[in-house]
Amino acid sequence: MFTQQIINGLTMGSIYALIALGYTMVYGILRIVNFAHGDIFMMGTFFGLLLTQKFRFPFPLALILAAIFTALLGMLVERVAYRALRLSDRLVLLISALGVSIFLSNFAQLVWGTETHPFPSGLSVKSFQVGTVTLSNIQVYILILSCLLMIALHVFVHKTKMGVAMRATSHSINNARLMGINTDSIISMTFAVGSILAAVAGILVGIYYDAVYPTMGYTAGLKAFTAAVLGGIGNIPGAMLGGVVLGVVESLGAAYISSGYRDAFAFGIMIIVLIFRPSGLLGKKQQEKV
Amino acid sequence: MKRRGKLFTLLLVAVVLVSLLAGCGQQKEQEAKTGEIKIGVAAPLTGASAQDGESIRKGVELAVEQINAKGGINGKLVKLEVADDKTDPKEAAIVANKLAQDKSILAIVGHFNSSATLAGAPIYNKEKVVHISPGSSSPAVTDAGPYTFRVITTDAFQGEYVAEWAVKDEGFKRIAIIYENTDYGKGLSDVFSASVKKLGAEVVANESYILGETKDFSTVLTKIKNAKPDLLFIGGLYNEAALIAKQAKRLGLNLPMMGVDALYSDALISLGGQDVEGLLLPGFFHYSSTNPVAQEFIKAYREKYNSDPGTYAAYAYDAANIIFEAIQKAGEDRQKIADYITNLKDFQGATGINTFDENGDVLKEPLRLIIKNGKFEIYSE
Repeated sequence: MFTQQIINGLTMGSIYALIALGYTMVYGILRIVNFAHGDIFMMGTFFGLLLTQKFRFPFPLALILAAIFTALLGMLVERVAYRALRLSDRLVLLISALGVSIFLSNFAQLVWGTETHPFPSGLSVKSFQVGTVTLSNIQVYILILSCLLMIALHVFVHKTKMGVAMRATSHSINNARLMGINTDSIISMTFAVGSILAAVAGILVGIYYDAVYPTMGYTAGLKAFTAAVLGGIGNIPGAMLGGVVLGVVESLGAAYISSGYRDAFAFGIMIIVLIFRPSGLLGKKQQEKV
Repeated sequence: MKRRGKLFTLLLVAVVLVSLLAGCGQQKEQEAKTGEIKIGVAAPLTGASAQDGESIRKGVELAVEQINAKGGINGKLVKLEVADDKTDPKEAAIVANKLAQDKSILAIVGHFNSSATLAGAPIYNKEKVVHISPGSSSPAVTDAGPYTFRVITTDAFQGEYVAEWAVKDEGFKRIAIIYENTDYGKGLSDVFSASVKKLGAEVVANESYILGETKDFSTVLTKIKNAKPDLLFIGGLYNEAALIAKQAKRLGLNLPMMGVDALYSDALISLGGQDVEGLLLPGFFHYSSTNPVAQEFIKAYREKYNSDPGTYAAYAYDAANIIFEAIQKAGEDRQKIADYITNLKDFQGATGINTFDENGDVLKEPLRLIIKNGKFEIYSE
């Protein structure tokens, strides 16, 4: 049972990690928590559903197109809800983020209804037995695809010019601008990348559970945010680690202690980590700028 | 002279008074003729149970449309005051205050979730206004107060019924329970596991999940798989039941499953597909039932909404019709309506024959159903 529970936890954890990356990247650059991110994740899933179900695109193509649409949505949200407020108080941005979040989830309820939709991906679900562990092909896709995406993100941030510019902007927006970096487009790009990851995570979750619904962004967003804080918000490897740790702890806690306290384990581990390492598992100590 | 003057004044006063009173009466009568009858609906139109809330709203709206087409109640048209409790007990209390304090509202259909009903009940009972829940089946609602009624049987009743069916009739011995951690799920699991034990079977696993938050049941199911049960009982709602069935199959857990009538919805089949085949459950409302009210309701619902009604639409429809009958027979008075419903016997509704006991709980006999070839069918062994 132990190995099975670890696998269950890793699957959930890698989804959390993908979403957490969006939170952490935006926080790293703008120092705001983009509370609309969970709902962008939900919208991405609905885009995927729409493309596979209504327009009958083959699954890989639908995944890519949905990711592109979600990226555009992420950029639009940044343009409309955050850019004009960038110099105002952090609290104003936070409220704007909450507003976008409520808007998106209500929008989805209006357009697609409040019910839970199945996600017919066209992928047939197969389970196979490895020793005592039962794995489904979708679990394997989730693990592989999220690993690939995280590696791709790492390469993008560390090896490309755009990535360097992104890190520079994250270090200091003003200095980056003085170096001739177009920070507006970098910020836009950050939202786009975060949204792409969220869309992929959403579609994977959608197929895994075969269920898509307008409020799915709330819990997923909350857990992913926890994962980001756990790993050290603003830190990319931290978000990945945080997501995986959260998934595994949740799964083991529910398995060996009590399934009713599943979420208590998730948030409990965050509190414990923050007591001993206030800036998260991999976060660097930082002096609060006033 | 003086005397006559006094007499005259008295007469004048009397005349004025009488005419005033008469005028009042006339005005009142007129108001009554042109007025309307207001009924409240308190349902979760948003939040985790939004799907059922929508179903309830549609069921009540259909009942209202039908009665208004017949000229309303005592010549007055029925008007709805719909309020959203957001699947949240805190919000339910706010909604209850709003509806109960509006004295023009004669009775309320609501709430859906047991937690919401339990939050609203003290307020309705304080204001002495009847509310009929179309979906709260928690045993705790029994003691909620004399103005709290429901058209759905309690979980205690259903839990015992399913336990007997499972152990006595089907012969299951090792039972695993998975329930949602709410008043509803907890109550159901408590009653079910107690009855199962009393009948001599064993509860080998008893696991919970949080409604609307947990969509990943792999952890819980792995635990259940290890306990080697021969039956999985689901004390939850259909969205989760579909996910549980799917994820169970994916983990290689092939078990017969049973549930209660809360699972009775087409959404269970459209979400669960092949994986919910063979699931057994009791139900009160079925398409092939011979109940004429049910048949008529299904036809009217399809015509109005172009879709099939769910169970809760039928319960809500019955709740609304019981209120209408009470107003018609007893009059437009909150207390009289309550007295009428307390003594109501054998009301023929879409979900069966409704009789209320002294606690406001409904008594009715369920049908046994099975999911077969993607449809709910009447089960016969």
